[in-house]
Amino acid sequence: MLEHVELFFKSIFIDNMVFAVFLGMCSYLAVSKKVSTAVGLGAAVIFVLGVTVPLNWLLDQYLLQEGALTWLGEEYASYDLSFLSFILFIATIATMVQLVEIVVEKFSPSLYNSLGIFLPLIAVNCAILGGSLFMQAREIPSLGLAVNYGISSGIGWFLAILAIAAIREKIRYSKVPPPLRGLGITFIITGLMGIGFQSFGGMLTGGDEAAAEEQAVEVPATQQVEATPETYAPEADKTTTNPEDQTTKAAAEAGEAVSYNDLVKS
Amino acid sequence: MHIIKHRFRGKKMAPAFNAFHTFLFTPDETTHSGGHVRAVDDLKRTMNTVIMALIPVLIFSFFNTGYQYYAAIDAANGVPRTVDLFGNFLTWENFWLGFTQVMPLVVVSYAVGLIVEFIFAVIKGHEVEEGYLVTGMLVPLIVPVDTPLWMLAVAVVFGVVIGKEVFGGTGMNILNPALTIRAFLFFAYPTWMSGDKVWVHQAVDRAGTPDAISGETILGSLAQNASYDYSVSDMFFGFIPGSVGETSAFLILIGGLFLIFSKIASWRIMLSAVIGALVMGLIFNGVVAQGWIGETSSFYGLMSFEFWKHLIVGGLAFGIVYMATDPVTGSQTNRGKWIYGFFIGFISVMIRVFNPAYPEGVFLAILLMNVFAPTIDHYVIQGNVKRRLKRLKTATILPKTTDGIAQELQAETA
Repeated sequence: MLEHVELFFKSIFIDNMVFAVFLGMCSYLAVSKKVSTAVGLGAAVIFVLGVTVPLNWLLDQYLLQEGALTWLGEEYASYDLSFLSFILFIATIATMVQLVEIVVEKFSPSLYNSLGIFLPLIAVNCAILGGSLFMQAREIPSLGLAVNYGISSGIGWFLAILAIAAIREKIRYSKVPPPLRGLGITFIITGLMGIGFQSFGGMLTGGDEAAAEEQAVEVPATQQVEATPETYAPEADKTTTNPEDQTTKAAAEAGEAVSYNDLVKS
Repeated sequence: MHIIKHRFRGKKMAPAFNAFHTFLFTPDETTHSGGHVRAVDDLKRTMNTVIMALIPVLIFSFFNTGYQYYAAIDAANGVPRTVDLFGNFLTWENFWLGFTQVMPLVVVSYAVGLIVEFIFAVIKGHEVEEGYLVTGMLVPLIVPVDTPLWMLAVAVVFGVVIGKEVFGGTGMNILNPALTIRAFLFFAYPTWMSGDKVWVHQAVDRAGTPDAISGETILGSLAQNASYDYSVSDMFFGFIPGSVGETSAFLILIGGLFLIFSKIASWRIMLSAVIGALVMGLIFNGVVAQGWIGETSSFYGLMSFEFWKHLIVGGLAFGIVYMATDPVTGSQTNRGKWIYGFFIGFISVMIRVFNPAYPEGVFLAILLMNVFAPTIDHYVIQGNVKRRLKRLKTATILPKTTDGIAQELQAETA
């Protein structure tokens, strides 16, 4: 139970898909013009992540990992099929997205229309594949935790797109300089939102005291408080929410983003 | 000044001169057409009111900077001081040291920020907006006293350009510019913004020498489970180390009451933020009282800290009164303000306790809630729309009391 609470909080706030690892940016930037659409897409992402991560966990445990094939017989114990993870994971994701698409089209045609091309594009949303790959890399120990991880990462992404959609609705009335309108300002906002989310970075754990105690032993508070450049740098790199990094990144990416925008229009 | 203003009318540099003119004199122009809003307070008046509320805090910070410096030296020499308001606090010595340390911060903050504002006004061809007046005063008050001036200048440029001007200037920004500047400083130069040395003048320079002095804040000590020796009245009146202007909860309280009285700041945000902080503090106290967490835990120090004391140490009071209430970046709706304020208090205390890297989480909590303020507003407004639609529905059903007529009407319309 404790590790569930911890993982839940961590994947929503600390390892937020958008602000900590910058995944799923394409649909995050493109579908965040209106809150209602953003909510629809966010819900779809939560669902797809919540289904694909546990499915891929099963695949990983019983097919791909080294020694995962032991259940077939002793002679398969040395097989390591993990080089197939990308293909199999993306196949699972594509299947699930097709399923979601069919379901959404059947039950909510209006949402289906407003999401447009971006619903099938969830299949190539890097947050989804990223969720499965992180699950593999972090060696999440049980199916329950995998479900938790998928859903909570999805909620983190959902919160991010919800917040930026509301902000973009608000700044519609701002006098943003013309060169920055559209994606440029969105990148800057994302960077600034990252600073806000940084408040959770380095937090040992949330909500749960016993788990906190365990971890506290590993990282004494005094080390963190000193925050010398040496100890601080790796943390900043890991979360990439260093404001300077981010704005330069945002500025650099703004150029590319315009071409992406054109691509979508055409 | 008038002559200069008229000479430059219509020229590119006009906004720069007009700003000086407006600042020094009451504008003599009146609008001739269109709708008029008659009100006592314009943007300039609003900003000046907030600055007036900040002046006591600023003056107190002069004395406190000096006092903390000399007290730390005394303590290092083995003679701990106790506060004596007229004896050793309100002294010329303290004031002069604080003045020479704090005033450069204020001057740099205003000079750099206003230069950026002027440049943008000239480029974009609009009048210089007064928005920076308050930010420029807040910034020196929320940084440690020994912040190098060039660092402050860089941060101010970042905060004003990225935090405000790219959104179109005053009133359009998403995050509070003063907090953006603080966050920039915090993440770009962490050694100068946190730790146990930065809070007292010269403590960093003296570290490692025989003259070393300590300047740990109360929250910093608690985060390391160390003890602190400041009484509650010290905390309340602010004779403690900390960022330049955040220490005196008493003067901040007076400033806050003044802002509420002049209706500049929202009492809803302040009240709900206080409630939020108290609730979170109570939860943590409860956890300790239940014995769920031992004295060995690294959270014990802050968790066992009495819940109401959270309000009078660190920057919580300052943040709640002067920065959470920013009318631009906060929630705009009344119900939204309650939610927004509550989470500021709640998350501030949570960050304080759970995040040992930042014993001072208030500015981050406010930034985070600034991010979510539009979302809160959106849902409050949607809620209102839905409720009214419902009311409208029930209102149209009213003729049902006379069923016959309703049916007749239906028949007619059909």
